[in-house]
Amino acid sequence: MSALTTSDGRLASFQQGQPPIDKSPQPATGGPPTAETILATAARLRREVGLTFHEQLMEDIYADAARLADRAVTRPGEAERFDLDRSIDRIVTSRVWGFPMMILLFALVFWITIIGANYPSQWLSNILIGTIYPWLNNMADALGFPWWLSGLLIDGIYLATAWVVSVMLPPMAIFFPLFTLLEDFGYLPRVAFNLDNIFRRSGAHGRQALSMMMGFGCNAAGVVATRVIDSPRERLIAMLTNNFALCNGRWPTQILIATLFIGTLVPAWLGGLVSAAAVVGIAVLGVAFTFGVSWFLSRTMLRGEVSTFSLELPPYRPPRIRQTLATSIVDRTIYVLWRAVVFAAPAGAVIWLIANITIAGQPLAVYLVNFLNPIGLLIGLNGVILLAYVVAIPANEIVIPTILMLTVLMTGASGVDGGAGVLAQTESHQTIASVFQAGGWTLLTAVNLMLFSLLHNPCSTTIYTIYKESGSKKWATVAALLPLAIGLVVTFTVAQVWRLIAY
Amino acid sequence: MIDLIFNPLLALVLAIVTGLVLAVLFWPQRGLLARLRRARRMSDRVYSEDALKHIHKAEVKGRRPTLHSISGALQIDPNETAALLGRMTDAGLLVDDAGTPRLTPAGRDAALHVIRAHRLWERYLAEETGYDEAAWHGQAEEREHELTPAELDALAARLGHPTYDPHGDPIPPPDGALEPHGGLPLTSLPPDQPGRIVHLEDEPELVYAQLVAEGLSPGQIVRNATVSADRVHFWTNGDEHVLAPILAANVFVQPLPEEAVEPVGGRPLTRLKMGESARVVALAPGLRGQERRRFLDLGLLPGTEVTAEMRSPSGDPTAYRIRGATIALRADQAKYIRVTE
Repeated sequence: MSALTTSDGRLASFQQGQPPIDKSPQPATGGPPTAETILATAARLRREVGLTFHEQLMEDIYADAARLADRAVTRPGEAERFDLDRSIDRIVTSRVWGFPMMILLFALVFWITIIGANYPSQWLSNILIGTIYPWLNNMADALGFPWWLSGLLIDGIYLATAWVVSVMLPPMAIFFPLFTLLEDFGYLPRVAFNLDNIFRRSGAHGRQALSMMMGFGCNAAGVVATRVIDSPRERLIAMLTNNFALCNGRWPTQILIATLFIGTLVPAWLGGLVSAAAVVGIAVLGVAFTFGVSWFLSRTMLRGEVSTFSLELPPYRPPRIRQTLATSIVDRTIYVLWRAVVFAAPAGAVIWLIANITIAGQPLAVYLVNFLNPIGLLIGLNGVILLAYVVAIPANEIVIPTILMLTVLMTGASGVDGGAGVLAQTESHQTIASVFQAGGWTLLTAVNLMLFSLLHNPCSTTIYTIYKESGSKKWATVAALLPLAIGLVVTFTVAQVWRLIAY
Repeated sequence: MIDLIFNPLLALVLAIVTGLVLAVLFWPQRGLLARLRRARRMSDRVYSEDALKHIHKAEVKGRRPTLHSISGALQIDPNETAALLGRMTDAGLLVDDAGTPRLTPAGRDAALHVIRAHRLWERYLAEETGYDEAAWHGQAEEREHELTPAELDALAARLGHPTYDPHGDPIPPPDGALEPHGGLPLTSLPPDQPGRIVHLEDEPELVYAQLVAEGLSPGQIVRNATVSADRVHFWTNGDEHVLAPILAANVFVQPLPEEAVEPVGGRPLTRLKMGESARVVALAPGLRGQERRRFLDLGLLPGTEVTAEMRSPSGDPTAYRIRGATIALRADQAKYIRVTE
């Protein structure tokens, strides 16, 4: 009751709206009130305080707090800062300049990442695979390791991990700091503000634009980035659909396949342009799936989850470059890399083992490929690709090397270094193309591989992150199976329609 | 065999057929599985509880429940209804009073339990989930048969022992009687007399959906302008509304003395032009639960000054300056905030 009495004037207004409280039917007894009469009075009063009692009480408590704060707090010198903020806001959210500026900025970020990551990637690969890998092999020989031990440890575990690190680390170490700089400056909330209407239509939150952008770098980091979405339903939507943003581990697959199969369909001078368009087309398709699946989820599985929208546009401030570098490298890059390494190491072991454990003279991988082949062919892929996607669940980066290794193992095609279970390494497109040829690939295989690379279960790092972030095995399972189901349906349909038209 | 599977036309047809079969089986609400589960749930107990509810409602409204009204409400044929009423009489829930079924004290307790479960569940859906108003009633119709008295007490405690459901109906206390909402239909409110909405009839669903679409909710102050045989004009929240009398009769109001009504007035925040400032008058009653709390957290309280700052290039949301912070709100939220003219 104390809250009611302290909220002075507002209590009166609250009671004015109610029917006047009837004080006449007091208990007939003249003596002191008994427990029953007090309870009866309390029950009657509870009914009479009306419908909005809780809301009113809460509002009064907040109003008191606000009044106290207004009396005690002064805010000098805020006006000028605010005017500058407003001028920047006028430009970045203007009808004319808002969207072009946004597209230009993000294109720039991606361009710097792709161009900038090439050199350190090459350098890391030279050190980890070109220098340390042979050195480790020599060490193992010198120490007299049995072939299976050095194979499992060096060809399996070390090589897969080294591969993931050299492909993954440089783009992330460039992309994340750039992104964090934009965030720190205060620009990213304006992007969410500009794009919110589109996301609202599919039942999502404007800030999903940010977790989606982050997902183009790495889906696990994108899932972590959904923390900025404060509404429970929209946050789940953003987590479950992040996988449709084509991540760093899948760009190289897309670019390689598009260059080898799509770019060669047109005259050489157009090849680069056409294959780039194909890759961008796949990424845009991913964005379309993000909106479609968000729409579907918000109307079916997530219908009852609470949704509260609000988006603060914080004041702009000069980016703090050193802190930004430190936090983005530690929080995002190292975190994601560590997870990836933890998952990639066992995958390397599995890849080596299935190629080297033999049953009746045949490696285990051959049985698995033959088993998966009918399903693979049905959806326009093949057994090798499916097996590669199963063993490469920990990291999309090792899909192509695994496919190459397995194809060589199955067909005996030549030209690729390494033996059974050793992730294949080659730079020459010519060689890769000839291996794929030997594996019986067609244009359909290539197109469906590009589609399947976009639409399949997220890597185990991402699934684990979704589990940690949502705290629910159910949502982690949905996140894993939903894109896979979509991928199977899409590749299956494309394969059948393609075959119908082609024959 | 393999060749058959790889015939693309056959594979496609097979897949489409499989997809259709799966859809027929598992489609939510309309699929065979959903129907089967509903039919299983539609046990004798469910029918009996629905019948108790119907009889109780008739008694409260002073109508006479008949075999036909019950079979209509339960959507089962009269013979089955008669058998059901017979079993309920044997169980001591009903007595036969010259052809009219009447509740025994045990029957009344059972009916009140179901009503309490229904209304508490609606309150829960309104406060703590994101389901929209049109979905509350249907879901509560199912859950009311599943909740035990102990679960209801726990739910009531969690919700802060609410006294009313979101439609303005009183929630019966665990062992007490049901108080009627005591309102009269909007059509009977004299012109220019202010009244407070105390209840929106949530059945039939179509009518309720239209009332919700008009933005009506319990707690609002209304004032009739003109009432004629084919139109009811009234004012609420500073806007004029027109309803057909058949709809308006589902809105129940409690007349208020003229001096008891504060002029709420104001206009929705969405009408603010860019750069314009105004003070918050009130948060509309339709804003509930977590969303209302979020607005209070932001400091949107009566008296707070709000300035419309800028609009997203895609048209929605709009950023407002609130207590020194810039906060973007969507139009479908900002419409709940009333500000000064």
